[in-house]
Amino acid sequence: MKEEKTEIKGALGNVYIVQRIAILLAVIAMFFPAFNPARICELISENLSLFTSAVSYSSLTDGCARAFRMGWIDESVFMVIFVASIVILLGIILGVAGGCMSLGNLKMQKTGLLFSMGSGLLQIAGSVIHFVSYTMAQNAENVERVKPIFANAIILYIVIGVVVFLVSVFLFIKLPKPDSNMKYEMESKYKLFLMFLPFAALAFVFCYLPLWGWRYAFFNYKSGGSLSMDNFVGFKWFAYLFQNAATRNDIVRVLRNTFAMSALNIFTSWIPMMFAVFLCEVKNMRFRRFVQTFTTIPNFISWILVYAIALSIFSTDGFINTFAKEFGLLAEDATGTNYLMGNSFTWVKMWLWGTWKGVGWSAIIYIAGISGIDQQLYEAAEIDGAGRFQRMWHITLPGLTPTFFVLLLMSIANILTNGLDQYLVFKNAQNVKTIEVLDLYVYNLGIGGSSIPLSTVVGMFKSVISVVLLFGANGVSKKLRGESII
Amino acid sequence: MAKTAQEKLDEKKEKEYKKTHKNFYKTKPGDVLFNVLNYLFFTLFTLTCIFPFYYLFINTISDNDLVKRGLINFYPKGINFNNYLALKSVNDLGYAFVVTISRTIIATVLMVVASAFVGYLVTKQEMWKRSFWYRFLVITMYFNAGLIPWYLNFAMLGLTNKYTAYILPAIVAPYNIILVKTYIESIPGELEESAFIDGASHMTVFRKLIFPLSKPILATIAIFGAVGNWNSFQDSLILMQDSHLFTLQHRLYIYLNQSSNIQSVMQSGGSAAVSAMEQALNAKVIKYTISMVSIIPILLVYPFMMRYFEEGIMLGAVKG
Repeated sequence: MKEEKTEIKGALGNVYIVQRIAILLAVIAMFFPAFNPARICELISENLSLFTSAVSYSSLTDGCARAFRMGWIDESVFMVIFVASIVILLGIILGVAGGCMSLGNLKMQKTGLLFSMGSGLLQIAGSVIHFVSYTMAQNAENVERVKPIFANAIILYIVIGVVVFLVSVFLFIKLPKPDSNMKYEMESKYKLFLMFLPFAALAFVFCYLPLWGWRYAFFNYKSGGSLSMDNFVGFKWFAYLFQNAATRNDIVRVLRNTFAMSALNIFTSWIPMMFAVFLCEVKNMRFRRFVQTFTTIPNFISWILVYAIALSIFSTDGFINTFAKEFGLLAEDATGTNYLMGNSFTWVKMWLWGTWKGVGWSAIIYIAGISGIDQQLYEAAEIDGAGRFQRMWHITLPGLTPTFFVLLLMSIANILTNGLDQYLVFKNAQNVKTIEVLDLYVYNLGIGGSSIPLSTVVGMFKSVISVVLLFGANGVSKKLRGESII
Repeated sequence: MAKTAQEKLDEKKEKEYKKTHKNFYKTKPGDVLFNVLNYLFFTLFTLTCIFPFYYLFINTISDNDLVKRGLINFYPKGINFNNYLALKSVNDLGYAFVVTISRTIIATVLMVVASAFVGYLVTKQEMWKRSFWYRFLVITMYFNAGLIPWYLNFAMLGLTNKYTAYILPAIVAPYNIILVKTYIESIPGELEESAFIDGASHMTVFRKLIFPLSKPILATIAIFGAVGNWNSFQDSLILMQDSHLFTLQHRLYIYLNQSSNIQSVMQSGGSAAVSAMEQALNAKVIKYTISMVSIIPILLVYPFMMRYFEEGIMLGAVKG
């Protein structure tokens, strides 16, 4: 008897999968403007998803103010669209609940199926109301201006609704009736999974979904436009990157800046370690604490504030100039020099700011490393007559090498990533050529400039190369130390 | 005070000992030089870290006339707090404060609770496809689609120009989840087991046991999260057009880049008689003052948080 039951469940499990996939599709489609059944006329923005249409009436009617005022279309049509969107949204929520409950025991499954049936019906109903609003739009006062279009997503949601409904009814009939005294229960592993699911969804939406934006690299996209087969250009922008002389020069210049500044950081990455080593030679704990506290502060202020500080010290009326004036090094009425302008030593200046901001903080990990070294080693070395520098060289530094090595590998893996903030705030008309790193270039090109596809291409290259470098660094670490760094 | 014979003997012994081990007890001139240089270096470097903040501060509380003449270099003169009061009339600064403070609180609280909860869930071996889902989270740390796709994603979801764009992406923080997970794994499993035997559910165990026990690590990630939110700039710069939604750092960035014309910063300025030069210098002091109020919260919490900062970086070294 028992065996038979599980067998039925196994066969029905496959049917369940159909239902779950259908609901999942509905959930995903809900967030894509391309699948918005609510867009039944061109007055509605093509960047509006079903979800937004259902939760925000103002977004839905955004851009319709003129149409309402001029009486092109009655506002009641939009009320209908709004209601229909909410109905579909409720349907999808019910469907998700039903899908989750399908992981429970028989009683829970049965109730879940009722939910799913409701979900299917609501989705069909919502789609039908959308269709009604479409016919209403066709009969609007000024059809010319309203431009009704049939939203294909209406069919999509009807299909999903029908599938969900039919499958649920089928399963409801097939599943045996649970005992009346059965309780709602779910296996622990599924319970845990369902608790985790919302967070996985968030991670998916904000970390994985952006990859979908890579498709812009294959289109002739202008801000505010749309993607369609008309402006599909294949690998044009990839070729453009190498063929267009101006862009190629830009890339070469930008890469030179990027590599130069990353290389400066990599070649001086021993500085925080030496900072820690010498700080630990300070035997007065009060003083050491004091130094440690105040040298880490700059790490916690933003680059904007670092720039504000830079202005207050180095600008025309900043500290350096007023100091020089006060002590007669500069004439009282002279115009001071703005040390932030100018194009000389930009790389070194940027490196200095980065070091000022970060060295105290980066040293902490080494200080902790030093306090982890066995004190007996030092005592033994001292008895053997080793001097201060010998102890540093033969005990402290070897003790810190593993940490140093990991951080070095990480910084090599991040060679293309300098960050945006620092270079954005320190950029000015004179140093723009030498300060523009890859991150800033992508920003300027995509957000500030005109070419979203091209900057997407550059970003794609950067992402892929960074990942390859990271895995390369990890491979090196595994080979040399038998330990992975990621 | 007469010394006892025993004490004298001890002293003599000690002297002899020092004589035979003089390498140990004699301070060599090299050591003195090293110490002097070492202390000097760290004193100077620490000064370069403190002085800019101090310089900003004394300029904001001094007499504006003296600031204008560049006479406030090392100590304040004519102390007053008028500049701080004048911030009231700076355009949109109030909005920036409300946005930044509220997002710092909301996003940090949600992030901490979510990290604790997810960190707990991924320690549960019996979770369906646990290792897959854990990796699903961890991978996001090492890979991103790039700035433009990131922006286009927000545009597609209709989150541009919405306050929620500050909150939603901050909730799931993989790095913090790893930290919490590692910490929870160090809590003896017997505690949890006995709670389960007593019939507690996962939720109860999390609320009554795991959450209180992991407070140290939660405090650490809360502080890191709060500082990150307070300093947030890029999301505001790229996603927001409505100036009422700009964060404090974004506001400051705009002020710093504005022409030094005071009129562009202040609502309806002062009287028309104020000379252009004075206006420019007022704008400078106002910029200093705004910078100062954005730094002060960090400086205030800083000494208390130092411990957690260090704990945080050390935990980061232990990856799980």
